[in-house]
Amino acid sequence: MDKKVAIAGYRMKGACDLITTRERLTFELTRGLFDDLGIDRHYVDTVIFSTNDFLDGRTISNVFLDPPAGAYLKDESKVEMDGLNALMYAFMRIQSGEYESALLVALSLCGYQVSPYLYIEYTLNPAYDRQLGLLNELSAAGLQAQSFLSKYGYSEDLIDEIAAQNLRNAALNPDQARGMNDASGKDVKQSPYLYEPLRELHTYPATDGGCAVLLVSEDKAGELTDKPVWVLGMGQSIETYYLGERGLYESRSTREAAERAYRMAGIDDPKRKVDFAEVSSLFAPQEPILCEALGLYDPGGAAAAYGGDNDISGSLPINPSGGPLGAHPICATGLFRLNEAVKQLRGEAGKNQVKKAEVAVVHAQDGVCAQQNAVVVLGT
Amino acid sequence: MEASPEDFFTPAVPLDFVYNYRVGTYIERYLEGFKEKKILASRCGDCGKVAVPPRMYCGPCNGRMEELLEVSQQGSLENFTIGHVLLEKGAVKAAPSPYMLGLIKLDGADSLLLARVEGVNAGAGALGMRVRAVWKDEVGGDYNDLDHFEPA
Repeated sequence: MDKKVAIAGYRMKGACDLITTRERLTFELTRGLFDDLGIDRHYVDTVIFSTNDFLDGRTISNVFLDPPAGAYLKDESKVEMDGLNALMYAFMRIQSGEYESALLVALSLCGYQVSPYLYIEYTLNPAYDRQLGLLNELSAAGLQAQSFLSKYGYSEDLIDEIAAQNLRNAALNPDQARGMNDASGKDVKQSPYLYEPLRELHTYPATDGGCAVLLVSEDKAGELTDKPVWVLGMGQSIETYYLGERGLYESRSTREAAERAYRMAGIDDPKRKVDFAEVSSLFAPQEPILCEALGLYDPGGAAAAYGGDNDISGSLPINPSGGPLGAHPICATGLFRLNEAVKQLRGEAGKNQVKKAEVAVVHAQDGVCAQQNAVVVLGT
Repeated sequence: MEASPEDFFTPAVPLDFVYNYRVGTYIERYLEGFKEKKILASRCGDCGKVAVPPRMYCGPCNGRMEELLEVSQQGSLENFTIGHVLLEKGAVKAAPSPYMLGLIKLDGADSLLLARVEGVNAGAGALGMRVRAVWKDEVGGDYNDLDHFEPA
């Protein structure tokens, strides 16, 4: 890699009901980040938003966000996907040599202002699935969960325990919107079914929130922080929209994206080289599917991995932050995973801190049952 | 950053308009087929895969799917979920009673068709069960003419 790119700093905010406007949230996140780093808006060469017009209820929804983000008369654009894709775009701009710094701003307000389930409902094929009315985000997640359990002969206890582990980890993390102290698989099993085997507590909470992240060149990183986190590799991939043409028990596009990211980072054995992962499993049953695709354990190895290896104190922690079961601000969730990984790599994750944090893999998804996936490898 | 919820004025901002989508000739033909209680699919000229409902382009091999063909009304239940809720405009509501949604591999097709399933218990033996299409008594080329599947 000819030019190194670092994450210099971030601000994040997530809650189930954030009583604020998108503009105010944008301002607090970005101005707060500038203040943290001792810079002002003139330091930023390009601003990239990650928001969704549908969720914001207006087209080109970033038009109102430019002034509060300090983007006035600046180079500015928007990615209508998870912010981890915006990070890849920012990375390339800095690598081009034309930009030294890039500000990412990702947010959505789906706590009470608009239902998050509409986001997926309105991605469905309008000429077929929306006419038929059977498919929605939750029924798709139920089918995916069933496919995974029946493929490997797992009981529902496994996904109950995965949810409980995430909810326990989220309870330790002040940046999460929801957590449950001492959550157990039994607690999860007491929550009602939505679409069997998917239960309410397997499912992300409706979340308001967002984040701001500053990416910089190697030269700038030295000015801003003594704990830079480097972007070592990245990859994206997309598979078919049609659930009936996918093996829902696996995520082939995540596997493709991960292979690209590992190749770029020079990692040939992720099981040994990756210290921990932050993955955008919006539903607990997605976590083992995604981790298998990220090469962190073999297909069918989930039951063994969740015997303790994947917990905060384990040998390969998965979502030590609590993951999206603690907060899912659509468009910002992948960058939340990135920020949680940055915290770990800097040794600033508090009660969620893992033992060894030198190389992390971060994942984001978009679409029904993770149709599109983005993977980023970070290192100290 | 936060005011109290009572102080937060939230006028309703509707998005109230209707799109007039062109569904394309294949879905038109698919729905035409429903009038004769037929299930149409398309076959890829390159890889030979058969997709139902029919599409003009093959995702995996980028081939043209120019051949329309009828597939069987019977197949196997490959995956299912039991719905306990309904989503109405994004709001989760309790369903009047639990219902099964299944992904069905019709004989002669390579893709799975999502449909309601009745008369199948969710326990062991459900996966792989042979099922057959049940049509509405009166069909008119509507998406829901193919009402559900039941054990064959």
